[in-house]
Amino acid sequence: MKTLRLILTQNLGLILAVVLFVALYSIYVALHPNWGLNVVLQNGNETLALIFVGMAQTMAVLVGGLDLSVGPLMTLTNCFGSHVMAGTGGSVVAGVVACLALGSACGCLNGCIIVYGRIQPIIATLATGAIYIGLALLLRPTPGGAIDGDLAWAFTNDINELGMTYGWWGDLGLFGKIPAQPIFLALVVVLVWAPFKRSATGRGAYAIGSNAHAAYMSGVRIDRSKIAAFTLAGFFAACAGVYLTMQMGSGNADAPQAAEYTLRSIATVVIGGTSLYGGSGGVIGTIFGALVLRSISFIFRVVPGDSTFGFVASPLLQPFFEGLILLFAVSLGAARVFRVRNRLSLFT
Amino acid sequence: MRKMRLLAALAVSTALSTGAALAGPEVVEGPGFMPECFAPWSADTKYFQWEAKEPPYKIALVNGFVGNIWRIQMIQTAKAFAEQDEIAPLIEEFKIVSTGTDAAAQLGAIEDFINQGYDAIITIAVSPTGFDRVIRLADRNNVVLVPFDNVLDTDKVMMVNEDQRAMGEMSANWLIEHVGNSGKILEVRGVPGNSVDRDRHEAFREIMEADGNDFEIIEVVGNWAPGDSQKVTADAISVHGQFDGIYTQGGTNGSVQALMDAGHPFVPVAGEAENGYRKQIAKHSDEGLKGLSFGQSPGLVAISMKAAIEALQGNKLPQLISVPVPVVDYTSIKDGENFWSELPDDFFTPNEFPPCGVNITAPEIMAKTKDDVK
Repeated sequence: MKTLRLILTQNLGLILAVVLFVALYSIYVALHPNWGLNVVLQNGNETLALIFVGMAQTMAVLVGGLDLSVGPLMTLTNCFGSHVMAGTGGSVVAGVVACLALGSACGCLNGCIIVYGRIQPIIATLATGAIYIGLALLLRPTPGGAIDGDLAWAFTNDINELGMTYGWWGDLGLFGKIPAQPIFLALVVVLVWAPFKRSATGRGAYAIGSNAHAAYMSGVRIDRSKIAAFTLAGFFAACAGVYLTMQMGSGNADAPQAAEYTLRSIATVVIGGTSLYGGSGGVIGTIFGALVLRSISFIFRVVPGDSTFGFVASPLLQPFFEGLILLFAVSLGAARVFRVRNRLSLFT
Repeated sequence: MRKMRLLAALAVSTALSTGAALAGPEVVEGPGFMPECFAPWSADTKYFQWEAKEPPYKIALVNGFVGNIWRIQMIQTAKAFAEQDEIAPLIEEFKIVSTGTDAAAQLGAIEDFINQGYDAIITIAVSPTGFDRVIRLADRNNVVLVPFDNVLDTDKVMMVNEDQRAMGEMSANWLIEHVGNSGKILEVRGVPGNSVDRDRHEAFREIMEADGNDFEIIEVVGNWAPGDSQKVTADAISVHGQFDGIYTQGGTNGSVQALMDAGHPFVPVAGEAENGYRKQIAKHSDEGLKGLSFGQSPGLVAISMKAAIEALQGNKLPQLISVPVPVVDYTSIKDGENFWSELPDDFFTPNEFPPCGVNITAPEIMAKTKDDVK
């Protein structure tokens, strides 16, 4: 009983995000006339890039900083990917690896500038973010590039379509209806995030965010953990870029879109229960944070215009209501302040 | 209940993925339906024909960015058009969403409306590429997808636009006619990296820089916004002294305001269709402000909706529909007809297009906005 309570209190942010997501998504499902796995697939397509960018932001927030270059880095890998992933067969795989390597290298550069240049993460990444957008514009002055249409279709679809597009397998029934996006996400979480979190470097990242001085005095290798966290942020941002490339089939150095992703990534982190002071939370919460954020805009599409709540979906009021729900969601995360006995403990 | 619904959805989607894989529009020979409204872009534009469906239809408008006057006017026009007497009975449901500048969100919204069983989806694309997936899905499900204004770099989908190059060309010809074949010209460009800005600029330059002309062209960026245009025009005047003519892609009233503030004599100007600019032309044309005013009409949305409705009824339509550029100059400008002296500066005057039965004028739309605010 006591352990259960401990688990609950330690993961309160995550639980709130899950509850909020279930509540919002249920409304969407209930109002959607044809909800099914194909709609889940479409929701996944819409959300996966944001989830990855949010995961990238989580890494920076965990060590007590903000990374303003996650959106630009996604855009850079998207533009780079539209060149290197344009072939067929093995060269596409090489292209994906090259994109992920580029993202990790840029993330590592961020980390090095922050650690060795002793610059605040938010300032350092503001500068590098501008550089990444500049490089993206250099690679794609105008939107373009053509990823193989079948590849783009197959890998942003369900297991059936993947097999049938290439003739690898036929209709696999219900199993084949599983969308590809949750599989990609699960792979990244299990193969990359989970080992990192368990490693000494990963635990070091949490320790830094929690209390950098204490971590230093306890012998945590601060520099290594910080650089690792930012490198991983770059890797996650590259995952978003690679997925966007497959989804769009092309590259677009879209600066407003990069900025929007950066801002939204911070919102996903906060809704997901990761403390902006660092040291607690994780990418699982962020995944649900991104889902909450997207679910809000899903609902606008299914609210019947002539119902009592039709005014919510009024096209010029949508941003207003989105902001309102966002504010509510973020405030929930901040509610822990009311339960703290000594307010000083918030600042430690 | 949930399980039943899931099974039903599965059955439907399985049926769709096996049975209707070859749907979509058929490429046919012209001429198309109502050519006075739906003119083909060029002689080699192909024609599309969808299988006819019974009305009423479910139609969605998936807008991207929202937050400037043009977009607001566009949304209000769409709402008003859907409520018109001859259109309303054909529409079962009309839904509008704005997805911001995020391409994934816009693609997701389009896909969502396809999945919800909508018959047609109108959109202003946030990116000229990347729509292959939703085009495939729309074709599979026999959904008519109509991008307009910011269109796509593809010929697989029916689109509606005005010829942006023609606007650049007519501006160049206007200045040559009124300035002569030489002189100093100020060119105020739009939002960088956008295809509309590129087309309007390149077509303008091709004519201005042709043999026989000797212009010195000063180029600045005004982002299609009156404030920005005013600032960069003022800067250009203070640096370069006097100009013989001005071409402003958008926010033209700002450019003219800067001219007046600097005490610069009035010169021939080619620009957009803001009400404020047309008010300035009317007031100062006898002092030398020989203005040409062309416009990208927010009424394009209504023409796109009409195109979608006709396509759903099985009528043949061009793949790329060209809407004529509405244009007036200082001789043809008329208060209460193509501008309104008692109304604010910042809306776009051309809104109606009678050949298509789009008769909603700009003042009607702006009045509607005011009612909504109350």
